[in-house]
Amino acid sequence: MTTDTLRTLLTVLVFPGGLFAMALGLALKGVERRAIARLQRRVGPPLIQPFYDLIKLMRKRTLIPDTANAFVFLAVPVAGLASMAVAASMIPIPGFYEPSTGLGNLIVLFYLISIPAVSLMLAGSASGSPYGAIGFSREMAIVLAYEGPILLSLVAVALHAGAVTGQPILLSLTEIVRYQQEHGAFLFDPWMWPALLTYLCFIPANLGIAPFDIPEAESEVLEGPLVEYSGPPLGLMKLMSVTKSVVVLGLGIALFFPNGPAGLAGLFIFLAKCLVLVLAVSVLKAAVGRMRIDQAVLFYLKWPELLGFAGLALVIARF
Amino acid sequence: MDFFSKAARKSPWLYRINAGSCNGCDVELATTACIPRYDVERLGCQYCGSPKHADIVLITGPLTARVKDKVLRVYNEIPDPKVTVAVGICPISGGVFRESYAIEGPIDRYLPVDVNVPGCPPRPQAIIEGIAKAIEIWAKRA
Repeated sequence: MTTDTLRTLLTVLVFPGGLFAMALGLALKGVERRAIARLQRRVGPPLIQPFYDLIKLMRKRTLIPDTANAFVFLAVPVAGLASMAVAASMIPIPGFYEPSTGLGNLIVLFYLISIPAVSLMLAGSASGSPYGAIGFSREMAIVLAYEGPILLSLVAVALHAGAVTGQPILLSLTEIVRYQQEHGAFLFDPWMWPALLTYLCFIPANLGIAPFDIPEAESEVLEGPLVEYSGPPLGLMKLMSVTKSVVVLGLGIALFFPNGPAGLAGLFIFLAKCLVLVLAVSVLKAAVGRMRIDQAVLFYLKWPELLGFAGLALVIARF
Repeated sequence: MDFFSKAARKSPWLYRINAGSCNGCDVELATTACIPRYDVERLGCQYCGSPKHADIVLITGPLTARVKDKVLRVYNEIPDPKVTVAVGICPISGGVFRESYAIEGPIDRYLPVDVNVPGCPPRPQAIIEGIAKAIEIWAKRA
């Protein structure tokens, strides 16, 4: 009993949640910044620049504005980071790590993934700054727009995996991964492509990547919800967003393309897939400008939503 | 502890304050960051939107009477340790606006300036050198 608890704690705090996910997220962020610099033919920062930034922020002074609700202001970065550490421990690394069933299923994971967005909203509204309030309203609008498509995509995968394994619906990520490793990845199944495309559309909005980095637009609303943060709380917020990128990319890999060898090689294949996704995201970020919030919301309510419904309909029609 | 202070030195974030500048120096600052030839991100710098995220503050303009209070307020929002760089001739002496009734500068009457980068506008290379000097000063303060 105690060893089980200890093991769960270790998976949440050290590997693959907590420390591992945070370090991986920071490293991927460094790769992203370097890749964007190279695409613009600049030299770019060193690969470990995000680690330097984090250490610097941890040593700076914390300022709390008079107008802020100090408790909420300081609590949300911790809550957001903690939710992401737990979520990261629920992402299977195919062939290397399987999350224990006690941690929860796809539904819990879906809710955990939306907590950072809630943290950002709370941070923006608790800071008492008008820029924070604008960031709050923008964040809420875009969350409402992309939650629908991502839910449709997850349900399509869960229904499909359930149908092929003879259950009504399959909500365990471990089982979904295991089925794909035995019978081929959903990536190569044309029936699943609408769901895959929906998931790919969800990634930039959730991670705040151009053209959907509207809530945290630094040139218009001074990084929106983060405007009043300084020092360690800002560092935790940045850490939360890089950990979120690991969770979201890892979930995409687990849902659509978890195939890989067993053992340590599986871990390296997983890292390589993360790297490919981050490079793709960097190309997108370097290539496009920022949309307006109304354009982004309309885009999400139209195309990814439509694709999501198409994916769900295909899965239902097939069985 | 020494390792951490060394690492922290490699991440100076920049914030721009326009104290009534004609925008010439601001265009040069944007150039310094944005075009491939003069990349300050290789020094670990990053322009940030909020004064509360900043380490090095770049001030342009002769500090006009109308903008003085706002500039001082924004300056006080920047957490310590911080380093101030005056970019262009205006914050240093008033430049072409010298002895005008509308300006309150030079800026070092009100703020401690650490590095002066004169020019109208200064060349990007000069601005980068100013930032590099500011990083050295900042490392001693941090």
